[in-house]
Amino acid sequence: MTMREYFMRRLHRLVPVLIEQVEGMPPVDPDQVTAFAREFLQAGTPAFRLLFYAMMLALQALCLLTRGRSVYSLPPEDGDAFVRYLYSSRIAALGAIPTVLGIPIFMAHYNRDDVQVRLGFDVHGMRGEAAAREVKR
Amino acid sequence: MIVKPESLPGDVRREADVVIIGSGAGGGPVAKELAESGHSVVVIEEGEHFSRQDFDFRAGDALTRLYRDAGQTVTLGLPVIVVPQGKTVGGTTTVNSGTCLRIPRHVLKRWHLEHGLKDISEDELNLLYAALEEYLFVKRADPEVAGVNNLLFLEHAGRLGYGGGFLPRNAKDCEGFGVCAYGCPSGAKQSVNVSFIPDAVAAGADVYTGCRAERILVRGGRAVGVCGRFTDPRTGKRTRRLEVRASVVVLAGGAVQTPSLLMHNRICLSSGQVGKNLSIHPCGATLALMPEVVGNPKGIPQSTYVDEFAPEGIMLEGVTVPPAVMAITLPWGGRRHAETMRDYPFIASYGSMISEHDSAGKVVAGPSARQPLTFYWLGREDLDRLKRSILLMAEIWFAAGARRVYTPIDGFKELSGIRDLKRLSRARLKRASIYGLSAYHPMGTCRMGSDPHTSVVKSTCETWEVENLFICDASVLPTSLGVNPQLTIMAMAARAAGFIDEKLESASLREETAGRLERMRARLRSEKESVARRLSGGPGSG
Ligand SMILES: Cc1cc2nc3c(=O)[nH]c(=O)nc-3n(C[C@H](O)[C@H](O)[C@H](O)COP(=O)(O)OP(=O)(O)OC[C@H]3O[C@@H](n4cnc5c(N)ncnc54)[C@H](O)[C@@H]3O)c2cc1C
Ligand code: SF4
Repeated sequence: MTMREYFMRRLHRLVPVLIEQVEGMPPVDPDQVTAFAREFLQAGTPAFRLLFYAMMLALQALCLLTRGRSVYSLPPEDGDAFVRYLYSSRIAALGAIPTVLGIPIFMAHYNRDDVQVRLGFDVHGMRGEAAAREVKR
Repeated sequence: MIVKPESLPGDVRREADVVIIGSGAGGGPVAKELAESGHSVVVIEEGEHFSRQDFDFRAGDALTRLYRDAGQTVTLGLPVIVVPQGKTVGGTTTVNSGTCLRIPRHVLKRWHLEHGLKDISEDELNLLYAALEEYLFVKRADPEVAGVNNLLFLEHAGRLGYGGGFLPRNAKDCEGFGVCAYGCPSGAKQSVNVSFIPDAVAAGADVYTGCRAERILVRGGRAVGVCGRFTDPRTGKRTRRLEVRASVVVLAGGAVQTPSLLMHNRICLSSGQVGKNLSIHPCGATLALMPEVVGNPKGIPQSTYVDEFAPEGIMLEGVTVPPAVMAITLPWGGRRHAETMRDYPFIASYGSMISEHDSAGKVVAGPSARQPLTFYWLGREDLDRLKRSILLMAEIWFAAGARRVYTPIDGFKELSGIRDLKRLSRARLKRASIYGLSAYHPMGTCRMGSDPHTSVVKSTCETWEVENLFICDASVLPTSLGVNPQLTIMAMAARAAGFIDEKLESASLREETAGRLERMRARLRSEKESVARRLSGGPGSG
């Protein structure tokens, strides 16, 4: 397994920890998130890729240290509490961990047509309107 | 013709009058002006070419396809600032908001007094601006499609006595689809990909896409061409080579890539100014939870402004973002994040832009020319002004009825009213306590001036050191502008095109004269020979 594959598998399991399923929203799809993240990281800078992988390792290490178990096996309530703890920490570096990890994860989920439509951004309608309205110079 | 790498049978070697690196706000106008003047023009663009049908309202996909490094370009320093740049035909204009403002008079005065650029007169610039505005259909944003978000902010700023208005934009029949930064899907926004480049191509220019210029060829102190390498867009692998020999080379890769290319080619470095003097207009943003549906991002994302505080270097300008982008700006994860995102229809947003006073930045050579390192240190004064801009935006949102305002300041991520504003107003911020900052206007890294010891290019945009090498992009602007720069970049590029045209004309005149002289000499030689033969009575003497 390549290093990238290793991290992508981990990322797949991390998705439900960062994006919680709330009522009224379409179900989170870790496959879609992982596929997007793979492309986003590939198109990006090597520095961001490395930072991203380092943050995944840091998240796991911190969880093992503070919760005594792997972040990937936390029950939803504990996962949410752990994420909240990191974001609200006074140590900026701790808040940076989920912030960096959240970039491709959140972007992927909220990039989905069905999610955008649920949030009032009718992308299907807009696409149709835009197609019909070609502006010529 | 617009050439895609996959359509090439092999390496490309060719000649042209002018070769231009980059097809953005600087490269586009030069290409059009010179092609329409009858010169042969080649444009080399690293990004791919997309048409309006490719723009599909998905911000995440647009970031990976239209932006350099998927929008992950940041400055190193405190705080880290995201500085996104376009990498596609049209450059950053393809993904910008379309705002078109002229240079403020006091900034031009500074150029005259501090940089010796008196020959760039206000009258000349005004003529160029007027021509560009007509060509790009620049007019004030139509209130009908300005969007609830922008209108609400402007209205309540006005009620507080803060002046503002509708921004001039280069959009024709804009329907307010709200996704200017991810490619305009109707073709309304007159970015360079739908204006200058198609016109340049119609006049005979060739645009090679998916090709990165790597080497600027210099012989005897003169630029004579460019070598580049194509990349397969599917695999990301380097493929064919391109070599263009030309009389003039124009560098228009933007304020981060242009100095990097010069550094890697080790040219124009003697002033020590290449890569220095970077300004970026650091931006703050606020989100506001409103009692009623705002309906973002429908409506023009950047249709209104508040310039009451412009004399202090603070411009407030509208900004709306689609869900995928808002999701990465919220300072929470898990349940809190999901619940706030569910409120997206009720969330409004606005941005601020600081004209730098005491910040400093530079671009230095990185591990490769593609990946230079950008450093930026936010000055104390500028940090305070950023804080003030966030306070002003929050004040206006609360006046508009916001229940909560979200800010990018640690310890003040969520403000619930005037008491919180007062608390923030008293706080002395550290650089590290402000996060998620962004900036959209890198400039100044190959500044223009009248002194070759302190500037990289002359007022004509030709470099002091290498003859026939011109720089026409944001890097030549000698100071922070204080307003969105695209129109000024275009004006300076169009102005430079005039000098290049003169140069090419006089070169071809020289060539013509040299040709005539050569023909005259040959005639004289042959006449002399025939006279000599006649005198010596040789063959043909009869
Ligand atoms: C989201 C966003 C919104 C903005 N909104 C506004 C706005 O409303 N109004 C405004 O005035 N400004 C706006 N700007 C800024 C404005 O678009 C830029 O300042 C302007 O486009 C810069 O022009 P440029 O010619 O310097 O570079 P660019 O327009 O970036 O063009 C440079 C081009 O050169 C190419 N290139 C670089 N290096 C090479 C190489 N070695 N080989 C081949 N090609 C190369 C790049 O791929 C790119 O396409 C915005 C910017 C962003 C990111
Ligand atoms: S608001 Fe929509 S139609 Fe108008 S310029 Fe932007 S993307 Fe195009």
